[in-house]
Amino acid sequence: MSLYDLAPTAEDAGIHIQNLTVSYDTDRGRFNALKNVTLDIRPRHITGFIGESGSGKTTLAMAMMNAIQPPGRIDGGAILLDGAGDVLQLRGEPLRRLRGRYFGFVFQASSNSLNPLKRVGAQLMDLGRSHGISDLRGLLREAKALAERIGLDGDRVLTSYQHELSGGMRQRVGLVFALVLKARILILDEPTTALDMLTQQAVLEIVRSIHQEQGLTTIVITHDMGVVAEMADRVVVMYAGRVVEEGPTFSLLTNPQHPYTQGLIRAIPRITGNLDDAKPLPGSPPDLATIPTKGCVFRERCYARTSVCDTVDPVPTSAHGDGLVMCHGVDAS
Amino acid sequence: MQLLRRLISRLVGGAIMVLVVASFTFFLVRLMPGNPVAAEYNTLIMRGMTPTQAQNEVRVMYGYIPHEPLVDQYFHYLWQLLHFNLGQSISYEGVSVLHIVLSDAPWTIVLVFLGLITSFLLGVTAGVIAAVKRSTGLGNALTVSGSLLHGIPQFVVALLLAFLFTTLWPIFPFGAPYNANLTVGFNFPFLGSVAYHAVLPVAAYAISSYGGWLLTMKSSVISVLGDDFVLAAEIRGVKPRIRFGYIARNAILPLFTVFALSLGFMFGGSLFIENIFDYNGLGNLLVTSISNRDYPLMSGAFLFITMAVILSNIIADFLYSVVDPRIRRST
Repeated sequence: MSLYDLAPTAEDAGIHIQNLTVSYDTDRGRFNALKNVTLDIRPRHITGFIGESGSGKTTLAMAMMNAIQPPGRIDGGAILLDGAGDVLQLRGEPLRRLRGRYFGFVFQASSNSLNPLKRVGAQLMDLGRSHGISDLRGLLREAKALAERIGLDGDRVLTSYQHELSGGMRQRVGLVFALVLKARILILDEPTTALDMLTQQAVLEIVRSIHQEQGLTTIVITHDMGVVAEMADRVVVMYAGRVVEEGPTFSLLTNPQHPYTQGLIRAIPRITGNLDDAKPLPGSPPDLATIPTKGCVFRERCYARTSVCDTVDPVPTSAHGDGLVMCHGVDAS
Repeated sequence: MQLLRRLISRLVGGAIMVLVVASFTFFLVRLMPGNPVAAEYNTLIMRGMTPTQAQNEVRVMYGYIPHEPLVDQYFHYLWQLLHFNLGQSISYEGVSVLHIVLSDAPWTIVLVFLGLITSFLLGVTAGVIAAVKRSTGLGNALTVSGSLLHGIPQFVVALLLAFLFTTLWPIFPFGAPYNANLTVGFNFPFLGSVAYHAVLPVAAYAISSYGGWLLTMKSSVISVLGDDFVLAAEIRGVKPRIRFGYIARNAILPLFTVFALSLGFMFGGSLFIENIFDYNGLGNLLVTSISNRDYPLMSGAFLFITMAVILSNIIADFLYSVVDPRIRRST
């Protein structure tokens, strides 16, 4: 079996998330990390997931691969992957094969996503063996070409151990692992965290060009509005385990509907103008245990709070043309 | 090349340690109250020997001359040591210490290594299970068994086993490494007898170190399971068998250090265990030589046990650098 036989049947891999609820078991009880998330990730688009730490961005990405780790648990919903059906129904071998065939997940630069005791090349071969690739030399050649394409010294990297690589190099090696099996969906977790400005720029450019070249479905998880503005075609704003606003990047950034998105954008300091123009959002995000169980989750920090926000869950309202927003304020207008 | 240089530097370090230990034993024997060598010398003179005869006799026994300056004696002792001459035993008259030590050493080494391997295999397997099933009753039970056994001293375990299986239910033999009626050699009855006699002492070693392996392995596996690369491999769809290999190799690394430490503990434990089962090994030899005031034998046995521990440490340390690439290039 050659590498190309593994290409997914559906060229374009869109993801349709329906009513997804994920909860975590803690000492203080079971809490929702995601609640009733319904979202379409479009194929051949770069989608940015933005939100504060703990807003559920990474949990959502993990759920898409059905990789929620205990004590987390998927309580309900479906994740329909074009050409593969509901990912949440898969277990064991079929799930394992699907992950290799569809998904490429790139960890943060500060993570150690490689086995410290094996050379990078040997781990690539393990990956190839896991997905039935008989031409392992071919796989290594491919990986080397890919590594050089993204600015690494291919031979050096393949014969290195993880501890011999810098953070930025590890992340790029992660990109090689994610792409070498011709994944259709590329997910980058905080791709610019722990990198200097120049390296950030280089990584983003590499991702963008590979995304276009290979027609990928790309998801960028970040808390950096700048990354979203630069990279993403569409933005998903998350708060306390809910998608609060979603839409095309330009419309969403220039005309934010949800008070939370507005606050996020107002908090960015401008290069020109007074530094005091940047207004931080008041308060802090709730942790899992303090998320309100009914009503709007953002109301504690919201300038437009009304009595309806305390009792009624906001429902998705269409916004930004083909996007949505979840806010009573928008609902009423 | 780097590995070879590392090995050589470790061996040189080991040689220095042996020298230090040899010097210690030399001076310790001479610092003992009552100066046994001079006492022996005086006894011989009182028995009617001439000083020259007595001096020769003592020289043969202890390997040195009592009235020479201590420094001369020390160098004489080291010189003899370099020629593997450890002097002659007092309690086994006329037999060289080296001969006695070498004939007893294999039994101790067999016991210690069998005990080590048994406890390692049992403890590590149980540790993995205790880590993976840590939220279940089985996992908890294993952990508790580890903590309990870890807290019981070797000699208590040995006494308990001796009482239970040689006295209460006499299903295992007591004493000597094999049945003396059998011909020594590579034949089935002899090897069977060796194994039969080794069961209880090996069990004592194994039970007393099982808990340590279990607890260390458990915490090591749990920490490795939380590492990013384990999740990364899962998300990349790496086969479970390969993933298990990743986890196992990473988790077992810290145990190399414990391995090296526990060798010393095991050889030290041979003093109690062999003595309790009256098993003829180095530990028992050391204990009897102490009670017999057989100083040359005592320092010989002591030196040999120390050398065994140092050598095993060198091997463990060297192996660590072979299995962990992060250590390999740091020296």
